[in-house]
Amino acid sequence: MWFDTRPKVIVHVCQTQEDFPCATSESLLAGMVKIGRKGIPVGCVNGGCGVCKVRILEGQIQTLGPISRAHVTHEEESKGYTLACRVAPSTAVKLEVAGKLEKPFRKGLASKAGSSIIAPTTNLKET
Amino acid sequence: MGVMRIGHASLKVMDMAAAVNHYVNVLGMNKVMEDKHGNVYLKCWDEWDKFSLILTPSQEAGMNHVAYKVEKDSDLDELQNTIEAYGTKTVILPEGTLPSTGRMLQFNLPSGHEMRLYAMKEFVGTDVGSINPEPWPDSIHGAGVHWLDHCLLMVELNPETGVNKVAENVKFFTEALDFYLTEQILVGPGGAIQAAAFLTRTSTPHDIAFVGGPRPGLHHISFYLDSWHDVLKAADVMGKTKTRIDVAPTRHGITRGETIYFFDPSGNRNETFAGLGYLSQRDRPVTTWTEDQIGTAIFYHTGDLVPSFTEVYT
Repeated sequence: MWFDTRPKVIVHVCQTQEDFPCATSESLLAGMVKIGRKGIPVGCVNGGCGVCKVRILEGQIQTLGPISRAHVTHEEESKGYTLACRVAPSTAVKLEVAGKLEKPFRKGLASKAGSSIIAPTTNLKET
Repeated sequence: MGVMRIGHASLKVMDMAAAVNHYVNVLGMNKVMEDKHGNVYLKCWDEWDKFSLILTPSQEAGMNHVAYKVEKDSDLDELQNTIEAYGTKTVILPEGTLPSTGRMLQFNLPSGHEMRLYAMKEFVGTDVGSINPEPWPDSIHGAGVHWLDHCLLMVELNPETGVNKVAENVKFFTEALDFYLTEQILVGPGGAIQAAAFLTRTSTPHDIAFVGGPRPGLHHISFYLDSWHDVLKAADVMGKTKTRIDVAPTRHGITRGETIYFFDPSGNRNETFAGLGYLSQRDRPVTTWTEDQIGTAIFYHTGDLVPSFTEVYT
């Protein structure tokens, strides 16, 4: 690994038993991607697509930006769910991957996803 | 006669300041106005109508609607009849529903996506004008995209339940809107399942495209550049601005486009591409890509399917 003096903490991904060091100044996902490690699914890395949804089981995090409410509701957030691309670790973190990549053409998935059919615009703010 | 081209896309963004900074300084668009609801309107330097992108403040990402411009106001009445006869409900939104835009014909595609047609949008001219124009304006910035070119929508496809909104959208676009098919991906036994389709009204390879997936959404909106070197420069701009690149510069088998994919700050995917591929004509034979060559169809050089490309969208 390249020499990197930034303060770091260890992030543990429960499902894969993967540990990786992540700087406290960057997101959990960016930290993982930067050192070529895997474990959390990588999508838009900007809070919109929802594939990096995780549940923080232990440790403190700091929010870096807005997350799509289509993927993490306020209620879920109060239970520890968030998007790994939008939180930086303040302490060592233990997390589990909550989202699952939706494979196109894979059997049985479309029916589960059927509830997200786009409705005609009704919100006045949306033009 | 009928639909001319893509007119604008309306996207949901979660951080307006970051979104405007992205579309202005990375893509190279110009902000033209902001309305009282906080919606921001932008245009590219080579476009002559008032705007081609609307950003709306939201708590999620994705597309509100996509709009195409028709040639004459009477086309809206004719298309309303055709679309209603097809079995799709329509609504006329009065002039002024969107600023600087005439009345709009609003309906939902078989896939659920909202589409609008309009005949009038305020003419403001390109940044080089129409009298002895220079090839590009001195005010060019960022990637300097010329125009909004097309969009790709993700639509529901589930062979197990027999749902195929790709095929349903193709039927609607060809029969009700008079688009024509240029390319398709066929999968399944005997290639019976149309898994992706590219359609056009202009002479370019696609004005809209559909790809089958587990749920409907926006895959990307795409902007036109002149050359392969402009795609490289766009990538340089993204490196400079720390923009999240999804797929580094490469070529598509489908449409032959030279491309780079990246995300806006809310995770909506953008493309800038060069090369119009070929002259698309109504009598041109439809290009078909088979299931064993999907990788090559999408990323021609490696033939590798990048998982995030088909599985990540808003």
